[in-house]
Amino acid sequence: MIKSIATPTSTVRARPILGAASIVALFVALWMALIWSPPDAAMGSVVRILYVHVANAWLAYLAFVVVFLASIAYLWTKRTVFDAIAVASAEIGVLFTGLTLILGSIWARPTWGVWWSWEPRVVTTAVMFAMYVGYLLLRNLSDDLERRATRAAVLGIVLVVDVPIVHLSVTWMNALHQLPTVLRPDLSPTLDPRMLASLIAMTIAFTIVYAYLMVARVEIERRRQARIIEARG
Amino acid sequence: MTLTRIWRIAARETLAERGQPDGLVAAVTFVATLILVESLAVGPLAAGQPPVASALFWIAMAFAAILATTRSFDRELEDDAIDAVLALPGGRDALYGGKVLALMALLAFVALIGGLLSLVLLSLAIALPFHLVFVIVAGVLGLPPVVVLFVTLSLRLRARGALVPILALPVLVPHLVAATNGTAAAITGDASGALGWGGLLVAFALVYSVLGLTIVPTALE
Repeated sequence: MIKSIATPTSTVRARPILGAASIVALFVALWMALIWSPPDAAMGSVVRILYVHVANAWLAYLAFVVVFLASIAYLWTKRTVFDAIAVASAEIGVLFTGLTLILGSIWARPTWGVWWSWEPRVVTTAVMFAMYVGYLLLRNLSDDLERRATRAAVLGIVLVVDVPIVHLSVTWMNALHQLPTVLRPDLSPTLDPRMLASLIAMTIAFTIVYAYLMVARVEIERRRQARIIEARG
Repeated sequence: MTLTRIWRIAARETLAERGQPDGLVAAVTFVATLILVESLAVGPLAAGQPPVASALFWIAMAFAAILATTRSFDRELEDDAIDAVLALPGGRDALYGGKVLALMALLAFVALIGGLLSLVLLSLAIALPFHLVFVIVAGVLGLPPVVVLFVTLSLRLRARGALVPILALPVLVPHLVAATNGTAAAITGDASGALGWGGLLVAFALVYSVLGLTIVPTALE
């Protein structure tokens, strides 16, 4: 039996705080990325796209891992709040995966000479994007709240397998894409300290934006669920 | 015992297919047509190249698996037999496991026909026939665990026919890559390549079988 809980007021109160924090964090991170960090010796200022590209990719990973965890939690507890968290995170993840592909393509043009390359990281990211579009499609084609949540939770668990594949694809196969520079197996980033600081700042800023979007989207989904449960009596 | 129930479901499925072989006929016809049409589209010379011939064969097999699995569940839904199976204790695990086993047998037959057709139509010379059989068996084992999973998730949904390929094909990408490379390796005489890719296919089949048996019963209502 599906369990419903009231929308927590703490998340409603957190929204304006997260919104303000997002603006401040993005402003600081943009200043660091565009002005404070040095240009790359080989790529010049083109390298600055790294800060948004990598932060986007990080958010996509984070979002899909949250879908996975919320899916397990839903199957375990049958609480609709976890279904709301899963759908919110999946939508944000799809958005940021799409942006990662677009930004990667824009970066590839001046560095690789092409808009698209059939190399492992790019292809596995595109496959991950298609998988989670399918996840959202499955949700939209199901009318029953409980059935939709259960099926989506099962799918949310299955699809997470692709996240480590995307990350490790560049080490498993010959790739044109750069190898991991921050999350390396030996935990020793190979970036200039100012570049690394700017990248970390941008990643933190994007994570706060993710938290803000999550709170807003979960709130909308909880209202929607409440309407469905109310209509069902 | 769940294993006994899995065998029973698989046997029932095979008997149903023997009595009314529309799923098998549809899958074989589909594979044959697709191999023919794809070979014509890329041209017989290009289609005869081992990597191309292998890719055409496995793409056809993936779609045949989707077709046969969908047909198998349609038969259950038509007479509401699925509700009776699900009502049995352990029926959910048995349904998944039984369907996977029965579809493996069905797809092995489809692969045999499709493979022979490819050999004849594309004049393929096989350097390592036993390696080829290993890769094809491993590839056939890997398809049903994934496809049954997604057909189960899409049961009684609108636009199921479109949804299943959209969900299954991205997940099948590693399988298709491994099966295509393994088959091409066996055709060209690369023994270590064929065994390596075949091993990956076995691992893929195991991972998705365990995953399916663990979580698919939850999705069945």
